[in-house]
Amino acid sequence: MEEYHSGDEVSFSPDDASNVVKECIEGIVGGVDYSQNKVNQWTASIVEHTLTQLVKQGKPFKYIVNCAVMQKSGAGLHTANSCYWDTTTDGSCTVRWENRTMYCVVSVFAVAIAL
Amino acid sequence: MANQPLPLSQETLAQFNRSMSTEPGTSGPPRRRLGSISTRRSSKDQSKDQPHHRPLFLRSMTIPSSESSFLSPTVSNSHISMGKRFSFAGWHQGGRVSFSGLYLQQPIQEVYVENTYRTGPEPGCHFSASRTQQILQATLDSYLKGVCYSPDSCSQLCQMLADLVLSKLKDVNPPRYKVVCQVVVGQSGKQGIRVASRSLMNPNTDNYTSAVFQNHSLFAVALVHGLYFE
Repeated sequence: MEEYHSGDEVSFSPDDASNVVKECIEGIVGGVDYSQNKVNQWTASIVEHTLTQLVKQGKPFKYIVNCAVMQKSGAGLHTANSCYWDTTTDGSCTVRWENRTMYCVVSVFAVAIAL
Repeated sequence: MANQPLPLSQETLAQFNRSMSTEPGTSGPPRRRLGSISTRRSSKDQSKDQPHHRPLFLRSMTIPSSESSFLSPTVSNSHISMGKRFSFAGWHQGGRVSFSGLYLQQPIQEVYVENTYRTGPEPGCHFSASRTQQILQATLDSYLKGVCYSPDSCSQLCQMLADLVLSKLKDVNPPRYKVVCQVVVGQSGKQGIRVASRSLMNPNTDNYTSAVFQNHSLFAVALVHGLYFE
């Protein structure tokens, strides 16, 4: 059975989340080159696996996982986020990963729920 | 002493400290001297001798009668009355006073909010995806129309857009909702890009929306999630 954290407020741990995300990315697009046909599948798999792994931790959070995969062609990319939440319990983590042919940026947002 | 009169407790403290400084070391002697004075004299004659110590007793006389009657009787209580004077001063001025005569901070009172017995958002107060999408699209269009991509300024532009969208949404946000907003801005080139999002949330109360903008030199994608929180 999964553990439920009751009573104490648990705050988000960005380090744990970033490790989970890195493992997921490596597993899915680890050694492959950018391909227009497969990118849909990759992004869907990355977000799904990441979400599943985060939920397995059993913490009282709602999660949002965003993933952007971009081909390397010299163009620039910027991401920014702004959040209206409780800074003591909620948090986010962003992981940047790249290989020879593409960039991958994954953002995880965790919003606490009241138990 | 020549200055405007301090609050009672500080005056008595100043007096006490002065008397302490004149008699280095123990605090016994002054008290004993006071004690010895009053044992020699009757309580009525206290004011006649020892003008140096008179002020202390006179001060006690100036306190409302109920307190002075408490303090005047005997000597052996004089050092005790000093302590009592401080506490009376504390009561007198409505605050809490520590033994050194300094005011203690009032404890922060916890606010207890009444139970609303509400487990979900009120009907009509859900996160409206369509209205948010309109706001989002309008913001992107108005802000990015005619803007050219530049590597130096676009990172700030991106953050500013995210903050701007958030501030606009805060106005229309229903109560009890947390908002997460993400903006991706990139240069329009020949590259391909795919942005995907998946979330774990309550479909009855939570929702998300997105908007895309593109011009000749840049593209922008904005994602907004609204999450209900009790």
